[in-house]
Amino acid sequence: MTSRRTFLQALGISGGAVAAAGVGKAALAALPEPVIQTKPDTMAPLLPQTGRPYNPVVTLNGWTLPWRMNNGVKEFHLVAEPVVREMAPGFTAHLWGYNGQSPGPTIEVVEGDRVRIFVTNRLPEHTSIHWHGQRLPNGMDGVAGLNQPAIPSGKTYVYEFVARRPGTFMYHPHADEMVQMAMGMMGFWVTHPKGRHPLIDEVDRDFCFLLNAYDIDPGSYTPKIMTMLDFNLWSWNSRIFPGIDSLNVRLNDKVRIRIGNLTMTNHPIHLHGHEFLVTGTDGGPTPKGTRWYEVTTDVAVGQMRQIEFRADEEGDWAFHCHKSHHTMNAMGHDVPTLIGVDHRGIAKKISKLVPDYMVMGERGMADMTEMDMPIPDNTVPMMTGDGPFGSVEMGGMFSVVKVRRDQKPGDYSNPGWFKHPPGTMAREFDGAVQTPHRQSGAGGGQSMPRARQDASDVEVHVRKPTHKAGH
Amino acid sequence: MNLFRAAHLRGRRLAIGAGALLLAGCASVDFEESVRQTNQDAAGFTQGRLALAGTPAQREVMAREADALLAQPLGQDEAVRLALLNSPALQALLANNWSEAATAAQGARIANPVFTFERMRSPDEVEFGRMLAFGLLDLITLPHRYGVARRQIAQAQLRLTTEVVDQVTRIRQTWVNAVAAQQKQSYAEQVYEAADAGAELAQRLQAVGNITRLQRARHQAFYADAATQLAGARHAALAAREALVRQLGLTDAQAARLQLPGQLPPLPAAPRTAGQVAQATTEQRLDVRQARLGFDAAAKAQGLTAVTSLTDIELGVRRDQTFDKAEGHTERARGYEIEVRLPLFDWGGMQRDSMNARTLAAANALEATLRAAGSELRESYSAYRTGYDIARHYRDEVLPLSKAISEENTLRYNGMLIGVFELLADSREQIGAVVNAINAQQQFWLADAALQAAVLGKPTAVAVGLAAAPGAAEAGH
Repeated sequence: MTSRRTFLQALGISGGAVAAAGVGKAALAALPEPVIQTKPDTMAPLLPQTGRPYNPVVTLNGWTLPWRMNNGVKEFHLVAEPVVREMAPGFTAHLWGYNGQSPGPTIEVVEGDRVRIFVTNRLPEHTSIHWHGQRLPNGMDGVAGLNQPAIPSGKTYVYEFVARRPGTFMYHPHADEMVQMAMGMMGFWVTHPKGRHPLIDEVDRDFCFLLNAYDIDPGSYTPKIMTMLDFNLWSWNSRIFPGIDSLNVRLNDKVRIRIGNLTMTNHPIHLHGHEFLVTGTDGGPTPKGTRWYEVTTDVAVGQMRQIEFRADEEGDWAFHCHKSHHTMNAMGHDVPTLIGVDHRGIAKKISKLVPDYMVMGERGMADMTEMDMPIPDNTVPMMTGDGPFGSVEMGGMFSVVKVRRDQKPGDYSNPGWFKHPPGTMAREFDGAVQTPHRQSGAGGGQSMPRARQDASDVEVHVRKPTHKAGH
Repeated sequence: MNLFRAAHLRGRRLAIGAGALLLAGCASVDFEESVRQTNQDAAGFTQGRLALAGTPAQREVMAREADALLAQPLGQDEAVRLALLNSPALQALLANNWSEAATAAQGARIANPVFTFERMRSPDEVEFGRMLAFGLLDLITLPHRYGVARRQIAQAQLRLTTEVVDQVTRIRQTWVNAVAAQQKQSYAEQVYEAADAGAELAQRLQAVGNITRLQRARHQAFYADAATQLAGARHAALAAREALVRQLGLTDAQAARLQLPGQLPPLPAAPRTAGQVAQATTEQRLDVRQARLGFDAAAKAQGLTAVTSLTDIELGVRRDQTFDKAEGHTERARGYEIEVRLPLFDWGGMQRDSMNARTLAAANALEATLRAAGSELRESYSAYRTGYDIARHYRDEVLPLSKAISEENTLRYNGMLIGVFELLADSREQIGAVVNAINAQQQFWLADAALQAAVLGKPTAVAVGLAAAPGAAEAGH
């Protein structure tokens, strides 16, 4: 295995890759040594040293699982186990995953490869793996009870099939599925085309990530597995902004991003500054005639989307889910709206009872990012992440596509903040501002005038933005 | 006995009378000694400060000391001191006891000799009859009655101690209640403020259209409830304070100046152990001593009744003079007279039965007291220890938890994970925990006062007379 270690070192991931201890060498003599990842960073692409060549993907805040060739078969070893995932700096979650992380490592193969995957179960309960979207023999589909017995704790099962169809896939358990997916068990699978494919373009950068959601009470570590819809953490590869790495590309790179949705709701994924084409779904590459340009594509539950664009605009471009609550971290859903509520007198009264009380929300929620107040342990503020001009006031499913002229090919490192050429940035207007003419009138306008006037209209006091009030 | 014998040997009648007077004088009561004894027996209760103010000068000194005490917040010990100085009820108690002791002492005195003078006149004669009569039985039973009186005086002294212990215990408990009620009132005020802030905020939220009338009404309902609670708490605090005012016997002017500390004293570092409490020997307990004296007195009285129930003997010395006009001379006659009541109809059996029964009752009462003493002490100790453990549990577990909950909720509010109404509701709840902790502390201090009394042996049923007028008699020396 020394040679493989050297190989991993060359890829720059050996720091986090350690041979699993505790599994008898003899027992695993026939298996590839499992590779465990201890860091949540985005690892450099794993260039194929054996087997058919392909252009590897980069897993956002993740990595690709090394394999070994065994008589022409690509052998992988997945270990299902409890893991500790850093979802953002200062916030770690106790999840279940594969090989040290959640989601598990990305598996990359080439169309036509015979693949053998050893799955060792180190969970406290049985599991199985379903290879989402693959063509394979029915007995390899991984639905416990239906296609196979579940893999008991401590046992290793082996799956073997040919990756027949190129495309973007996922893997996840199909035994106690609700719990195991709520705990973070999932991973990405990419089958690269063998040679040129009429519908699959060559790209310069190929990113992939899974959309996943958790319900972890602020101050706790373990997701609440019974939550159906009311999740409080919206993540990409089990990372929440500001914990999500940026997607760093060179100007005019052709970029592909593969997104799989294993949450319980849809996510309209939106890219700033560029239009993209949806070039693939779980069903494979889309016919060229069906593609149209978009800036947002909805990724429904259990679906995959593959988008492609030419990164021809320099800058730091926001890239996020367009459901605004999905670009927030943990927050209360029953917090009353305090906008416009005068707190004079009350704040003092309350702070007599709650000494650390501070008024928030009177002018909106941005207070949240302006006041540096202590929050529960193991929690990331709801809106956070500092950009070059202050707080980005985002969380959850948010990242940045960084397009840079001087980014070297194959260099995925973060180039820092974009330096705007002079005169290309919004600025304060220093001329005179005329008072805008406002229309006054009845509710529905002329076509549908309001029939009945309320006895007392709610008087809305808009507090004009002035200098920061001294709370 | 010796005294009696000595007097008897003198032979001369007047000497007998003088000797008897002397004896009777010795059975009188020294009330100051009695108070001193109480101060000594119940040192922890009276702090040696129990005194009967007999003169205006004494009263003035006491009033000055009371003023000094009222100038500062009144601690528990200070409350006791103030009551000892200031409470007319306690003074009444002392005076009553004095009267009781004096009455007991009276029983050991000889009835005054009776002097009879007769003037009889017939046509020829004028007769003067003079007789000085003594109750002979009085004299014979004097040593006996002296013993009885001594025990009765001792009993009265013990009763005084017991009543003082009881009073002081009540003062302590009333003080605990007053301080706790005041403390609870201040927390009720905080709850009210939380609810008030919530209601006010809800009103403003509705005014700008952020919440519905229904939601506002719900928040306001909390407020309405809190206002009721606060009114109740205020009255409870006032009532508890007035109870203390009465215990201390304060005048209206003094009551206005009464200040109480902000909170109950902290729990002692360690509770008294059962061993420490059990060290109080049974024999030294007030209730046991009192029962024993009761028994002794009954037994002594029984011996006396054996004689007095049977008969009554009166000895008289006569000197008669007869002036005979016809013969013109005077005749003198001297002699003595003994009067004996004949036990023909009442042989004193009933009286003796009654005394027998009373002695038997006293003996059994003593036994019952002895048996109950340990049990009462165990119960009091359990109340004390349970009170301590619960109060400590509140101090070490519940309050820190409630503080932690408050802090965590503030953090959650900071993170916009909960709203201001939840924060306020939580603060109300945490205040509730604090009030429970005060209740626990109050229970402990009440049990502590009760245990102190129980260790000394305050009988469970002590009737404290408050309204009796002080006796007018001067000390019998």
